[in-house]
Amino acid sequence: MRTILSISKREITRLRTRFSGRSRLIVLAVVALTIISSYVIYHQDLVISKGLYTVGVTPDGPPVADQRFSVVKVERQAGYDLLRQGAIDLYLDGEEIVSRGDDRSQYAAGALQKSMAKQDLIRISNEYEVDRAFPLRVEVSYLKLLGNDGATETALTDTGALTGREEILSEAQPPAAAGAEEPAVTSMTTPSAAIAEMPGEGSPEQAPSAGSETDDVVRRQLAAFADSNQLPEFKAEFVSENEVIIPSLMQPPVPLAQIIITFLYVVPVFFVSLFFTSGFTEEKINRKLIVLLSAPVTRLQVILGKMLPYFAYSVVIIIAITLALGGDLLLGVAIFVPVMLFIFSIYLMVALTYRTFKDQTFFSVLALSVVTVYLVGPAMFVGVNDLSYISPLTLAVEMYRGESFSVGEYFLAETPLLLIFGQSLFVGTRVLNEEYLMGFKPLPTKVAQALYFIIDRNHLSTSVFFLSLFMVPVVFMVQLSSIALISNLPALFTLWFLVVISVVVEELAKSAGIIILLRHGIVKSWPDILKLSLLSALGFLIGEKLLLYLALSVLSESVFISAIFGSGLLVMPLILHMVTTFLVCLITARLGIRYFPLAVLVGTVIHTMYNLLVIGAVA
Amino acid sequence: MNQYLALLKRELRSILKEKTIVFAIMVQFFVASFSSIILVGIMAFYDPSSISENSQVNVRVGVVSETGNPLPDYLRDGNLRVSSFSDASRAEAAFLLGQVDAVMIVPENRSDVVDMKLILPELDARKTVIFMMLDEPLKRYENHLRQVNGVQLNYADSGGKPHTTYEFLYSVIVPILMLFPALIAGSIVIDTVSEEMENKTFDTLMSAPVSLGQVFMSKISAAVLTVVIQVIMWVGLLRLNSITVLNPALVILLAVIIATTISFVTGIIALYFKDRERAQFVYSIVLVTAVGGSYFLDPSPFGLISRLAAGDPGINMLYVVPYLVPLVTMGVLFLRFSRRLVFARN
Repeated sequence: MRTILSISKREITRLRTRFSGRSRLIVLAVVALTIISSYVIYHQDLVISKGLYTVGVTPDGPPVADQRFSVVKVERQAGYDLLRQGAIDLYLDGEEIVSRGDDRSQYAAGALQKSMAKQDLIRISNEYEVDRAFPLRVEVSYLKLLGNDGATETALTDTGALTGREEILSEAQPPAAAGAEEPAVTSMTTPSAAIAEMPGEGSPEQAPSAGSETDDVVRRQLAAFADSNQLPEFKAEFVSENEVIIPSLMQPPVPLAQIIITFLYVVPVFFVSLFFTSGFTEEKINRKLIVLLSAPVTRLQVILGKMLPYFAYSVVIIIAITLALGGDLLLGVAIFVPVMLFIFSIYLMVALTYRTFKDQTFFSVLALSVVTVYLVGPAMFVGVNDLSYISPLTLAVEMYRGESFSVGEYFLAETPLLLIFGQSLFVGTRVLNEEYLMGFKPLPTKVAQALYFIIDRNHLSTSVFFLSLFMVPVVFMVQLSSIALISNLPALFTLWFLVVISVVVEELAKSAGIIILLRHGIVKSWPDILKLSLLSALGFLIGEKLLLYLALSVLSESVFISAIFGSGLLVMPLILHMVTTFLVCLITARLGIRYFPLAVLVGTVIHTMYNLLVIGAVA
Repeated sequence: MNQYLALLKRELRSILKEKTIVFAIMVQFFVASFSSIILVGIMAFYDPSSISENSQVNVRVGVVSETGNPLPDYLRDGNLRVSSFSDASRAEAAFLLGQVDAVMIVPENRSDVVDMKLILPELDARKTVIFMMLDEPLKRYENHLRQVNGVQLNYADSGGKPHTTYEFLYSVIVPILMLFPALIAGSIVIDTVSEEMENKTFDTLMSAPVSLGQVFMSKISAAVLTVVIQVIMWVGLLRLNSITVLNPALVILLAVIIATTISFVTGIIALYFKDRERAQFVYSIVLVTAVGGSYFLDPSPFGLISRLAAGDPGINMLYVVPYLVPLVTMGVLFLRFSRRLVFARN
């Protein structure tokens, strides 16, 4: 521990000397400027699509408050002429929206109609009493179905899948101490019981004061509605079973919260990662790292020591942001620390593998975007699809909404991240040597070299087994990220591509270790290949099943899950994994490394056919 | 000139060799995919009709209401399957048996207000979809009740086309794709300059018969050239996806002007700090500030690109011209001070 601390201290000293003298002043000034300006910007109304449309309005026409529209006051005749010439997108003639037939004018008309209707809602809410202006209140209750398949039900513990709208609806909760004459909304277990208690005597005639409880709901929703130009609040309070909905005040939830949370937490870490990777590379180039390695310190201590200052900074950031957003401190740390560790593990690999700055910049940016996709992508579907629990961000969103999540959900989201961090540390300690650091080779060679260092030549079988086992989280992540890329394709091909990509990644992962051994001539005979293939397949299968077990404890069965994991059987998949791995390795051994892609292709075809059969059988 | 071309070639070769451009495109592809995921997410919430069109969602609603209530008709218009029930307990029984997906109970209307009950399945991811499909019929019913109450809501008829996708494409995706290459160009300039500084290859270059200005201009030109290629590529790719960038010449011009300005700025930053670590850090925070600050411009660069690309009739060449001012200023500053900065010690 002391060694780690002293290495950390050395790293901090390095940074401090970097930022000394005049440059420190400049950097501090820039940082201060940034903080001040972000504060100012934060207090502005953020309007996306500002001034996107141009609309002409009659001089006495209604005001258009929506900033998406640039407004031109123009007399009727001239207005119609401008519209015909295409100089404006729309003409608002009194209360009539006049548009052209082209797409742009039609989109503008759709937008203006929505926006004006919203303005008009506020008008009628001012002109009429609440009961007349908002006459429909929908009380929602959720009931369990009888004798549904228990498997999916027990897996779900959410409080309400309408999460998106709960931010609005939570404000619509009836107060805890409800009026004595209003039993209708509060405790309702079955709908028939509720109907017996339907208001009637609670209607405004008998309760002339601002009586009806749903009236309060309307007022509260109206208030929220009126200033909904603000960014959506994601700090919702308690959400209960019963919700009252006013149809015209329902607002589609913008999944902005997910994106904002991610950027708040991830962007500051991006800054430190820059110092982390730069520091590593610099010491790699000026050979200080090699000197350090010759000192009586372990490689793990070197890595941890160099990482510690930045990690500490990240934790401080997590704590600060969680406190600033009013989240649960412990939960915030528990959710985001693994995310940070995951980011660090990516940057560690980048720093170890790349020697030029340009490469590092690109891999860092690529890593940042992959991480963002991985976090935000699934979390977009909070409450819509259980697959959203793949992302730790889903947990964060639920935390900020004051909802709970189960331990299983926590582990599903976080375990792969932690495993990858652990593995990257392991890989780091294996490749932290002069030969690897100073080599200047293309990426595939670097990966092959790293794998060669990872495998312990005295314990070949064990190494291959664990290599495959620990490949599983990496494979899982690659497969998930591929979903993001596939989403660009037409829906028809999505599943096909997912199956094929999943299989290719799996085949690569299982055979990589053995191929390296073949290349270095450590393994030659086919019985050895067979034995190692079996071990590799076994390791991979065990990893896969463990992950599946974890996933099934949270997710309900879906086609995507079966596409990624195959079926729940045991013996058949083992044989399949073994056969394909063996084939890939054997073909490569016989034909040479140049034919490795062909070998993977053969393995992929067989594996894909099997998977499609299984999916077909399941479906 | 020949020397400059030779230097430019050297820069471009290094960018190609390190597959920089390939990575750049990969990054942007990811960003685009990411945005399209957001789009799918937004679409699902804003535009329930897209759900029912794209997937065979078959939602059955049990309705308990008085005869003559228009709600069942509104629901049928919204592509829902409606079964009427005479009383709540029967509807509830059908719901519990899974014969209907949702139950709506409309009480006999004795006053202005209708307190409707809506029963949805607990523990079912589909309830969001059900909800979204009920949205439009419920709004129509609400307006019907308003009219009964003598309240006229204007602009209630839906007119025009659903605009969310259109707005998102032109005000988020297109500007991101047009400006992202510029951000990367800034990083490229810092990396190439600081790499030569730190590896001391710069000294070797200085002994060659080339001027300092030529060396730097070649670096900046190479970075800007990658931007030109990427921006043109994106305009083409978007076109293939039937998203037309209108005013393409102005959009590309603006993107390249911004990229060149950024490259000059990063050139100055890199020459001042001389190491990648500080330069990239300062660049990142300056960038964050600049992006935020640009929001106060009207239109902001981001908004200008989006309005140009969407074909806003109120926007023309005159809006692009002012961007030449920072470009020229930064270019002059860079050329004037680069020599001094190189030899200054910091």
